[in-house]
Amino acid sequence: MSAPAPASPLFWRFNPEVYRLIGTKCKDCGHITYPRKKICPICGSLNQEEHKLNRRGTVQTYCINWTTPPGLEPPVPIIVVDLEGGGKYQGVITEVTQAEEVKIGGKVEMVLRKVWTDRGINIYGYKFRLVEEG
Amino acid sequence: MAGIVGYGIYVPNYRLKQADAAIPWNSWASGEKAVCGADEDIITMAAEASEKAVRHAGINPAQIGSIYIGTASSPYIEQYVAPILAETLELAPEATMMDYCGSVNSCANALLGCLDAIESGRIEYGIVIGTEDRATAPGSEGEASFGAAAAALVIGKDGIVADIEGVYTYSTLFIDRWRAAKDTWVSSYFDYRFDREFGYEKHVVAASKGLMEKIGRKKEDFKYAVFQQPDERLPGLAARALGISSELLAPGIASILGDLGSCSAFISLAGILDKAKPEERILLTSYGSGSSNAFSLIARDKIEQKKKNLGVTLEKYLERKEYIDYLTYLKTTQTLKRAPY
Amino acid sequence: MRGKVAIIGVGMIPFGELFEKGLETMAQEAYINCLKGVDKGIDPKEIKAAWFGQWSGGLIGQGTQGGSALASMLGQMEIPITRVENGCPTGSDTFRNACLGVASGVYDVTLALGAEKMRDKPGVESLVAAGGGTGAGMGMHPSWMLGGGGPSIQALYATRQMYELGCTMEDYARVAVLNHHNGVSCPYAHYRFEVTIERVLNSPLVCWPLHLLDCCPQTDGAAAAILCRADLAKKYTDKPVYVLGSNIGMDHGNLWDKHNFIEMLSTIRAAKGAFEMGRVKPEDVDFAEVHDCFTNTELMNIEDIGFCPKGEAHKLLREGQFERDARLPINPSGGLKAHGHPIAATGMGQICEVVWQLREEADERQVKIKNGIGLQHNVGGPGFGVSGVNILSRSP
Repeated sequence: MSAPAPASPLFWRFNPEVYRLIGTKCKDCGHITYPRKKICPICGSLNQEEHKLNRRGTVQTYCINWTTPPGLEPPVPIIVVDLEGGGKYQGVITEVTQAEEVKIGGKVEMVLRKVWTDRGINIYGYKFRLVEEG
Repeated sequence: MAGIVGYGIYVPNYRLKQADAAIPWNSWASGEKAVCGADEDIITMAAEASEKAVRHAGINPAQIGSIYIGTASSPYIEQYVAPILAETLELAPEATMMDYCGSVNSCANALLGCLDAIESGRIEYGIVIGTEDRATAPGSEGEASFGAAAAALVIGKDGIVADIEGVYTYSTLFIDRWRAAKDTWVSSYFDYRFDREFGYEKHVVAASKGLMEKIGRKKEDFKYAVFQQPDERLPGLAARALGISSELLAPGIASILGDLGSCSAFISLAGILDKAKPEERILLTSYGSGSSNAFSLIARDKIEQKKKNLGVTLEKYLERKEYIDYLTYLKTTQTLKRAPY
Repeated sequence: MRGKVAIIGVGMIPFGELFEKGLETMAQEAYINCLKGVDKGIDPKEIKAAWFGQWSGGLIGQGTQGGSALASMLGQMEIPITRVENGCPTGSDTFRNACLGVASGVYDVTLALGAEKMRDKPGVESLVAAGGGTGAGMGMHPSWMLGGGGPSIQALYATRQMYELGCTMEDYARVAVLNHHNGVSCPYAHYRFEVTIERVLNSPLVCWPLHLLDCCPQTDGAAAAILCRADLAKKYTDKPVYVLGSNIGMDHGNLWDKHNFIEMLSTIRAAKGAFEMGRVKPEDVDFAEVHDCFTNTELMNIEDIGFCPKGEAHKLLREGQFERDARLPINPSGGLKAHGHPIAATGMGQICEVVWQLREEADERQVKIKNGIGLQHNVGGPGFGVSGVNILSRSP
């Protein structure tokens, strides 16, 4: 079974999430989630409003994957980020290959990167880049 | 006339020594060039450069009436590149998508198109993005010298940091570099004197002279001359033919970042604007595929006021680098691919 | 649930890279062994409903498995059969559904069988690729968790556990050392060799900070259990094992909704509910088979189930508190580390081990049975959002 093509409704549906970082904030418990949802995953409330995620944050945790699936060259450093203003984001760090380069609590920012190519079409999304001090 | 309201550039982190790509093929090249990481391309570079330009300009992206991409390395023959940047910049759906492709003169043409649109009153602001990462083939001249970068300009009539007081173009049918639809690399005719004299020099000189005559300016009126930089010799040769002192020329970058194609002149321009003082005049001339566009710019007061909103500058990008070797380069450019099974 | 359901027979096949056996053969052999495991014998026609745990089905080209597939395999065409899939805890949930079938009063005797064929594909294309790659195949956008899946989620936890709780990669390796050692004496284990801390830490990195020997192997297997009404159990065996609690717990699959990366709410909820059902506490448990798909996961599981406070598991491990002859033996069979993780079969295989231990038929692996209570645990699924806990006992 192959994945839906980049030209499919799946990708088109996700454009506001992927490019404009639109998530959801719960008006009752304050939880910020992503992608957008109609029901809060924490408290079940229906009172949800759109919320734009911040592109900067700090590292919550990370790992470096050396056994990637076919079609993806290792290493792929995966990261969970605590975003400024709330919410988490799971993604990949770019321009990093060694575990020593990343520190929990370190600052990162989102940058657009080419994430995959399928049937000749490139798929873009935000990856994280370490913020240089100074 | 309209002018530059804000600008921003992006240069990738990675560098390849030009000799590393030439020596395996019994060629020689010197200097180094900027290359994209495996997950970068003209779109990702354009995204960062254009965001910086909008921040520097200090405008609301919804005000942008048209987005212009100038490149010779679009990944698509059919499918626009501009809409992806329209998403990252959050432009309104009313903004017109303009992909200018087919030459390293494309960004200069895009700038022309933008100026025309503003003059006609159809749009208030436009954003022009030159972005290049041309495909190369093993052993080709371009493999050693083609670099990657992106430069973006927000053009409008309000909040101008540099006015554009005149434009002039000069074009003939002349082929020096080409890439056929069926090819995955750029080919060069590579007869240096022929291409230099009857290609680069002839058109750059004619466009620059034509501009000065048209707007009634002499070469002494200009503080800076920014020419397309396929290599670091050519601007000097054009300057000599124009009678312009080489002191006016923008610093050499082709042996540091490589031949940046569409954004070549605009990367150099950004470096000049970073230090230009109000009322200093800049001659900007592009060249590609037998076409040359010349612009005359005048820095204004706002160039000082807006400096604090500049993102990472050319100077910083020249310092920030990480070398990769030729094998890594072949893999990241997908010239060398792992067997599928 | 408590007091309603009894296990009257279990059976499994040795787990391993069973290249000569397909899914059907494994399921049939486990079933046959299970029938034989009923001491006083049972007529297969007495089984009135069955649940078929099968996770990968379509993923590895085995075709989409449904209840009818098991019906054909076992020659059980007269009863209702449902395929169960719930991530890594598929085995736990298959068992739970078979329990519910009996506890509800609808069926007197039910069958739970889990079977998984992982090794018709090389390792990198099966579990590692599942949920990884671009994620678009799972309805997600590729820029999230690109190239993840498999070990990467647990690796994210492993990094944070070291940062917040003070455990080290050596502690993780220590889990592998103990479980490999236990697996040596288990005839059903895939790996039956010892390892040292050094060997684990020098094995290639799979997903930093996890090394190859921090991860369970890719394995094929099948295991089954037959359950019946507690008051009918003695008809089939003098040593029935009773179900005290059987529960599934949930957590968010998306990492961005998780509250932290040092504990899994799925396990915490599953365990809490199971203990409540059985009216027992963690300190009543004699031993446990927990889901050590990765070494750091075992430490997290021990704490999440409630056997010790958060952050203490690695210290107790250092003191030897989880060995077979210690206070709380963990994974006396060798766990997933030694058995591998044929997904739907894993939980069922753990049930078999808990039953054998409680019946004191575990040979060299036998642990001391004090209260007669054993616990089985799985956790997994997308984002490790599902966990299953079953608590079994010698007395109803």
